[in-house]
Amino acid sequence: MSVELQHGMKPELTAEEAARGRFVSGIRSLILNDLAADMKAAYDRRAAPAFARAHGRPPQTSSEAHKALRGDPAFNIYSAMRCQAQKMVWASVADSVAREADRLAAAANAAGGKVQLNPALAVPKNVGAIEVHLMPGSYTRGGDSVEAGAVYDRGLAVFSMGLMGANLDDIGLSMSRYIALKYPEFSPSRILDTGTTIGHNTLPWKQTYPGAEVIAIDAAPGGLVYGAARAAMQGQDVQFVQMCADKLDYPDASFDLVWSSMFLHELSKKQRAAALAEAHRVLRPGGLMLHMELPPNAEMSAFDGFYLDWDSWYNEEPYYKGYRDEIPQENCVKAGFAAADCFQFVVPSIGIYGEQAIADLVASEAAEAVGQATTGRLAEGVMWFGFGAWKR
Amino acid sequence: MSETPRPDDTPPGLYDETGNARFFADPAMDRFVAVVMNMAQELWVQEERLLALEEAKGAPPADRDAKLQAFITRIFAPIRGA
Repeated sequence: MSVELQHGMKPELTAEEAARGRFVSGIRSLILNDLAADMKAAYDRRAAPAFARAHGRPPQTSSEAHKALRGDPAFNIYSAMRCQAQKMVWASVADSVAREADRLAAAANAAGGKVQLNPALAVPKNVGAIEVHLMPGSYTRGGDSVEAGAVYDRGLAVFSMGLMGANLDDIGLSMSRYIALKYPEFSPSRILDTGTTIGHNTLPWKQTYPGAEVIAIDAAPGGLVYGAARAAMQGQDVQFVQMCADKLDYPDASFDLVWSSMFLHELSKKQRAAALAEAHRVLRPGGLMLHMELPPNAEMSAFDGFYLDWDSWYNEEPYYKGYRDEIPQENCVKAGFAAADCFQFVVPSIGIYGEQAIADLVASEAAEAVGQATTGRLAEGVMWFGFGAWKR
Repeated sequence: MSETPRPDDTPPGLYDETGNARFFADPAMDRFVAVVMNMAQELWVQEERLLALEEAKGAPPADRDAKLQAFITRIFAPIRGA
């Protein structure tokens, strides 16, 4: 299913561009649903038994599942096609972004979004030098123009196959709804989103807590310029600031909520530890640190763990596996939170399962378990994993 | 140009000399998979052009997502159940 963006910078596609984007969404659906199921069947029938014959036991870790699958025909075709489909995602939007560069720049300028860049900031290697998820030019493509943001927004619309919602905000919508229902007394007045990219999962927090001041930071300038305009076009008062999450330029105890989505796995271990410590530092007593992320390997089977770790080797996500080998609660405790104040949960996608599913989950108080195949996997029936900690 | 570090336990032989992942014993197969996908994409582009022409001549609007799913299923049927 293809997605049409919901704001003034949505592309004016030629018929060919629309067809190419639709095809990429469709082929990704085949790969991530059907070929993924074929690979799991091959693992159970062929790869894992062969590993067990050689080692006297079945694969027990993500790395062992990887070793078992390397060279298997189902793994080969899934992987080769997924790599090419990923390249096709970005290729399918490059022409329209280039053609519409002037229109996008004018629209962004006219939107009057709030953005504060810091040209003196040294953009970290993981943001500018690694072509994260095979995205040409990474997050710094086009410098402080709207190019990187437009490529990301349009690319995510193709990439997501409709599973992130029409405004690409399903993660933020699902998580913010869960928190609002689970903790009705929590009413943040100042919210910080770290690693916001284009603010797509920031806006739901402003919608959930409209009285709050919301600030979204990122190290890359282009996404912020685009995101500020994108927010303004949707009537959302959010401030976008160029800053690194591991070195916040905010005083102690100055926020009630520090949030991120799909961010921590793109940081090195050192950066990640510093970012979590900074979140603890800037939170006020009673404040909440909350991260939507991939679920940890320790709570998944060897195959399901490797299925997610695949990106670490084949989708230019070098920190992905290292992150997933960590334990979220241990990271929170190292950052200064008390173990008793840490929690984790799995929330149904609000776009797929509906608002009532989240309400039912909260009512049942059964939100602790990490599922298996559907948790964190962008495919039919996706559920989002989150963890966090309260500051006392 | 990407300067990607790799996870500590990366097995040998995962990438070619340019850093691209390789999966098949014959590296030409990795490139051939990409060619087949590009060809299918361009064939779909032509399919959508035909649909647009037929609609302009009075045919009822086509459900492109449904037609695409059937198209992909037909083209890629031989790789299912590998």
